[in-house]
Amino acid sequence: MHQTKFVSPCAIAIIVAIGCGGAKPQDAAAKPTTTEAPMQLADAPAGTAPAATGTAAVQVTVKFAGNAPAAKTIKMDADPICQQQHATAVQSEDVVVNGNGTLKNVFVYVKEGVKGSYPAPATPVTLEQTGCWYKPHIFGIQTNQPLDIVNDDATLHNINAKPTINVPFNIAQPVKGMKSSKKFAKPEVMVKFKCNVHPWMNAYAGVLGHPFFGVSDDQGAAAISGLPAGTYTLEAWHEVYGAKTQTVTVGDGEKKTVEFTFKAQ
Amino acid sequence: MTWAVRVGVAFAGTAQQPTPDLKAGKAAYEQSCARCHGVEGHGDGGDAKRFYPRPRDFSMGVYKFRSTTSGTPPSDADLFRAITQGLPGSNMPDWQHLDEQTRWQLVYYLKSLSPVFEQTKPEPLTMADDPGLAHADLAKGKAVYTQLGCAACHGAQGRANGMSAAGLVDDWGKKIRPANLTKGWNYRGGSQPRDIMLRLMAGIDGAGMPSYAEAVSGPDAWQLAYYVASLQEPAHWNLIAHAASITGSLPETLDDPRWASVERTDVRLRNVVQPDGEWVEPPTVVSVAVQAVYNGEAVAWRLSWDDPSQDQHGSPDALALVLKPEAAQGDTVTLQAWPYAGAPALDVCYWSAEDNAARETVTTDYATAAAREAAQASLTAAARYEDGQWQLIVQRPARPTNPERAASMTPDEFVSMAFAVWEGGNPGARAVSPWIDLVLSDAHEPAHH
Repeated sequence: MHQTKFVSPCAIAIIVAIGCGGAKPQDAAAKPTTTEAPMQLADAPAGTAPAATGTAAVQVTVKFAGNAPAAKTIKMDADPICQQQHATAVQSEDVVVNGNGTLKNVFVYVKEGVKGSYPAPATPVTLEQTGCWYKPHIFGIQTNQPLDIVNDDATLHNINAKPTINVPFNIAQPVKGMKSSKKFAKPEVMVKFKCNVHPWMNAYAGVLGHPFFGVSDDQGAAAISGLPAGTYTLEAWHEVYGAKTQTVTVGDGEKKTVEFTFKAQ
Repeated sequence: MTWAVRVGVAFAGTAQQPTPDLKAGKAAYEQSCARCHGVEGHGDGGDAKRFYPRPRDFSMGVYKFRSTTSGTPPSDADLFRAITQGLPGSNMPDWQHLDEQTRWQLVYYLKSLSPVFEQTKPEPLTMADDPGLAHADLAKGKAVYTQLGCAACHGAQGRANGMSAAGLVDDWGKKIRPANLTKGWNYRGGSQPRDIMLRLMAGIDGAGMPSYAEAVSGPDAWQLAYYVASLQEPAHWNLIAHAASITGSLPETLDDPRWASVERTDVRLRNVVQPDGEWVEPPTVVSVAVQAVYNGEAVAWRLSWDDPSQDQHGSPDALALVLKPEAAQGDTVTLQAWPYAGAPALDVCYWSAEDNAARETVTTDYATAAAREAAQASLTAAARYEDGQWQLIVQRPARPTNPERAASMTPDEFVSMAFAVWEGGNPGARAVSPWIDLVLSDAHEPAHH
């Protein structure tokens, strides 16, 4: 089951935002999601601006210019349990250029312009270790949203998280099926995860205080919806090619297209 | 709160903690610590490049030996303990000669060097009670060792030769080795079961060893700690190695029962420092165990050292047993420096895993010893590699005439002996020992009282 990397803000519309002037509740049909439990939100703390949702959306396309670097083949012979799960050799995931010339696994998020506080969803984000590989490789999560880390392999993994703003951790999961639940209290872009036992494994998480983020897929597309009208700075982050920003202004009900282009080095 | 449960206050020194005086702490730091840890605590002191493990960079706020949960800073008591007891097997000495007040001021000063101590509070571990040695179940502990996947890094017998051991990197991307569990004297945080338990629960931050707090129950973790402690092989750091007297032919096999009663001496090995002072890779061979017997004509040594990989080609595993010949007696030559221009010739008995043969030559460099030339004397040798350990027998006449100027060994006289070991998986390195004295005893001679 493909896990979405963020909870659709459309579900937030059940609690009507105050002060958004004219916002209409959206129905959940706007965003294709898998069936998941309805999100439960804590009440916003008294005195802070409540979570604002809107009806604007940004459709991001991340393009790649130039020749894709040759993918590196990963050697998993240090652990036969890893190796035997792959019929063919696994390629590195740090640069994945899609067939249509777009770039996958770019973390796209609203860096500036978000107002108000967005309580953490109770629904967890899941990070799997499958075939000695992290799935997903790049993902977003909200502050204080649970991160469930699951070991799907019959071998020892350790999850070594190295944030610089949040509290780091390094925990062992020796048993298949083990699940550990962690949270990040502060926004941080990006938090790196690695496994010491299998040094080729790594993943990155963007921790944000709001739900306006996405990861470019195998069409190079990422969608951010439920934005209140306003002017925002969008950032696109890639683990090799760095980060780029753009400003976008959206009005109520507006859907804008934004393009980022990363160049081969 | 009971001692057994609240680990965080278990080691708190005898005096009450004084109030912080950062000026005093800084002065003490500059006097005692800056030389290795750097003037501003970045682990960049003048000597730092030559040390493995490297002196801690305090500005990172990452500490390895704690009684606190993974990712949280050490408690004051943890820092006090590291300063007071030092870290065995590393270049961090104990600082017991500094009075307690000074050591506490150093603790406060260290904390001031990183914002981590303000951002995150140390979270003391909650540990299960120690069941005590009487209730240690080593079979259970061994089962837990298997279940938790420890062998992936530490190896099936704890000799740091697991499948993932060679590829480990620390949090700064530098190569690091897992602990060789058979060498309790080399555990940085202490070798007692309680110390091991702390490492399991807290993990070793920065070094890659994760916390098992969520993966194993308290009682099972204690059984594992007792099992790991049972893997330790006590070291005998004798400065004089005695070759036991035997009659008849020398033992030619590693499992000859006569070895069982021969005294064993462990000799410390340290990597030769590179010309530019940097380590090539972390040392992997840290000691060699030596036994020797003498039958009136010849000497046989039984040697054993841990080596995480068996390398026979390219850069093969090798060992040199070096004796000081007559002409070099009184010379201050050391294997840390040798060979060098103008160095005295040394008597080198050189064994290589490439052809499993040992040859003796008196030479001014190792290369001559490693070359297979007719001028070298051939020695009897037998070797075996098993699960992270080499074992080797070398036989040599006590008073050979070939090669010329060979070292002569006479009963009741000291012969200077040293070792150099090459580990093929770490080809830039050579691990060498200081000189120790070898003495042959001879049952045919009248005993000296």
